[in-house]
Amino acid sequence: MKIFFATDIHGSEVCWKKFLNSAAFYKADMVILGGDVTGKIMVPVIVRPGSFEVTLSGETHVVETEEEIRNIEQKIRNRGYYPTRITPDELGELNEEDGSIDRRFTTEMVSTLDRWLDMADAKLRGGEIPCIVNGGNDDTFEIDGVIEASPCVTFAEGKVVNLDGFYLASMGYTNPTPWDTFREAPEVDLAKRIEEVVGQIPDMERAIFNFHAPPFDTGLDDAPALDASLRPMHGGAVMKAVGSTAVREAILTHQPMLSVHGHIHESRGIKKLGRTLAINPGSVYTDGVLQGAVIDLNEKKGKVTRHILVNG
Amino acid sequence: MATVEEAAGAVGGKAAGSEAPTLFLRKATGLVRGWSVRDAIVYACLSTNIITLGIYEFSFNSFIPKGQLLTAVLISGVWVSFLVIAYTGLVVTIPRAGGDYVWQSRILAGPIGFVFAATGWWFILWLWAPIYGSVLNVELIQPVLYTLNARGAASYFGTHNGTFTICLITIALAGVLVSVGMNGYARIQKWCFAGGMVGFLVIVVLLLAYSHGSFVSSVNAEAHKIFGVSNAYGTTQASAAKIGYSTPGFGLNSFGASMLLVPMLMFYLLWPNWGTTLYGEVRGASDFKRVFTGMFSGLWLTVILSVVFLLLVDKTFGWSFYNNANATFWAGKGSIPIWPYPAMLAAWLVHNEAFQVILLLVMSLWFFGWVGSLFLSSTRVIFAAAFDRVLPDSAATVSEKRKVPMASLVLMLLPAAGLSAVYAYWIKFQTYTLDATLVIAVTYLVSAFAVVILPWRKPELWKASAASKFKIFGVPIVPVSGLVTMGLIIYNLYEWLSNSAYGVNNHGSLVFMALLYALAIVVYVAARLIRKRQGIDLGLINKEIPVE
Repeated sequence: MKIFFATDIHGSEVCWKKFLNSAAFYKADMVILGGDVTGKIMVPVIVRPGSFEVTLSGETHVVETEEEIRNIEQKIRNRGYYPTRITPDELGELNEEDGSIDRRFTTEMVSTLDRWLDMADAKLRGGEIPCIVNGGNDDTFEIDGVIEASPCVTFAEGKVVNLDGFYLASMGYTNPTPWDTFREAPEVDLAKRIEEVVGQIPDMERAIFNFHAPPFDTGLDDAPALDASLRPMHGGAVMKAVGSTAVREAILTHQPMLSVHGHIHESRGIKKLGRTLAINPGSVYTDGVLQGAVIDLNEKKGKVTRHILVNG
Repeated sequence: MATVEEAAGAVGGKAAGSEAPTLFLRKATGLVRGWSVRDAIVYACLSTNIITLGIYEFSFNSFIPKGQLLTAVLISGVWVSFLVIAYTGLVVTIPRAGGDYVWQSRILAGPIGFVFAATGWWFILWLWAPIYGSVLNVELIQPVLYTLNARGAASYFGTHNGTFTICLITIALAGVLVSVGMNGYARIQKWCFAGGMVGFLVIVVLLLAYSHGSFVSSVNAEAHKIFGVSNAYGTTQASAAKIGYSTPGFGLNSFGASMLLVPMLMFYLLWPNWGTTLYGEVRGASDFKRVFTGMFSGLWLTVILSVVFLLLVDKTFGWSFYNNANATFWAGKGSIPIWPYPAMLAAWLVHNEAFQVILLLVMSLWFFGWVGSLFLSSTRVIFAAAFDRVLPDSAATVSEKRKVPMASLVLMLLPAAGLSAVYAYWIKFQTYTLDATLVIAVTYLVSAFAVVILPWRKPELWKASAASKFKIFGVPIVPVSGLVTMGLIIYNLYEWLSNSAYGVNNHGSLVFMALLYALAIVVYVAARLIRKRQGIDLGLINKEIPVE
């Protein structure tokens, strides 16, 4: 069985489309997206009578036709940002205190995800090619129900999914970050959450861990060390292990055949932890490149036979 | 990693003429503040190292007898500034650790990226190890030991065995520093930079305060005391005349002859981009300016230090003595038996051993602040190639207990030790010093070509990049700077390969470099075949998935 694993596309529509095409491209039997599906930035498209105004890459564009603004909106989506059409009055009323910005973000995220799932239906031949999507720490909880409702995409968060005799256990929660994101838990709680999921696996020899957080101190979790003001120390040259000790412990204890991770975009790599092959394909979603891992599994022996990291 | 400040630049910040926000950020991982430009300047200045590389290379001025160092330094500074713009474009368009390997693989092709990154950032660093060892020897070990009257030890380090020993010490030092990681070392680097600058300032004050006459008597007195040489100043001048060398007057002239010094000065001025591969994932105009400012300021700080150094050398040492001392030393006819290290000559103005040793030690901070980075880039390339399955997985292993990248260090240390032996015991090999620059320059040439064709090869990536927004008369400056950079490197390559003054275009040197490229090609082809047998297609690594 061949699987394609990618992660952390953060709202990039180009990367989502590539992800949907990855099964055909790599001749994979199934595709897995490891979390952090949603974007971080929303760009207002100011709607005025007879014109639209949007500022992108420092340049302000004023266009008149629907076609022109759609082209710009597509560029915004391809970068992982959400364009949001808004009148000057509505824009003036948006503020953090009353939660109106968060609500608008959620609306855009959910509508984008809806559209993406419609694309998936067509690309994955109505579910003929299994597609598994997981949450990540940056994903709000509102997306869970949207993905759950899709007929062709399986939402795997907190579940064990049987993949023709292999058992995929998924967990989008991470250890705490300096940004206090949505799916974070202290290491002790994270360990409990992991054990709840892992406890459902009937055969650990054929287990795959799909945990968004990479295991601590494995080279899959190196991020620039930050000072108290969240500024990279020493010009970004000093890296620091920021992965999860609970994830590491779970891997070392249960020794699944494979564990796939994301979260730390710049820490693309492969690491053996005892019997387990741990992979973080990294992410460069802003470049419109879908980094991923193509992994061959031997159904009879229950092990990874081949793997390669790709920049698709 | 996204940066809050850069996000504002990337997407808009505040609309022109309006207070309305043009983007909203939600709380998400990686939204950090921008890195410090000051740190980037320190990196760039330490890598274009005026002391360990610059003044060492200045000493070969006599090989281009009519060239003017001052003119050549300024020409090189201006020309390399275009390389800074070209690399800034690459950094902000594809901000990835791995630098040239990633850029060339992504924009051109995977095999190209491997061959030129392996040769430029891995294999040729084997040669930089003995070069750095040699610099340590002539700028610290020998001057300090002679000053302390430890002549036995000092003369040992002048032998083949001594040179080999010091190379091994340098390799071990670089290996240990890679093993302990950048965390502590980055802090040490800053202190070394600050200390090194203080040392430089002390030399500036000395050269300003003392006259040429005082210098002549100091050289004669100290050379006699330390080496037992009488009338070192006069003997040096006479020796230079005997070998037929005469120094042109100091000034900003001889443009044509000075152009021939440019390929030499690349030995130190070509590296302002050495440490700039890790940047935020949300890039904007402010990001471009920040990256550019870091590299450009570092480069021009070095250029300014060089100009100050040369002006003061002319004033106090005397331009003819400085060049004659170097020319006679390299001809084996020097009255001072060790390399006439300018910091040592300046220290001699104060007739106090303790002061002289302390100044030499302080100036050695320029060496210790940079030697730790010697193998850092190499280990990154080895890791990247291992993750791409070009090298065996074991090449990227890190020991569990001590976190030492053992395999990649072995791939660096053993060949470096081997080449150090060749360097120490086969004098001719020491003349291949500029091979170390040439091979990296070729890697830069390929990256410069990549940046030139970037707008056509990856139009969407280019349009989304802040680099595409900087134009003069409607022409984007980054690809044009790539072209100018290609001109710089092609000119240098022509001179290196056609002019015997640089010690590059002899048979042995060419064979040595050809072997490095052949080795890289063999490794890649072998990897491709072996992986194919294992059912892994390395050609897949950089193949783009269709979007629609």
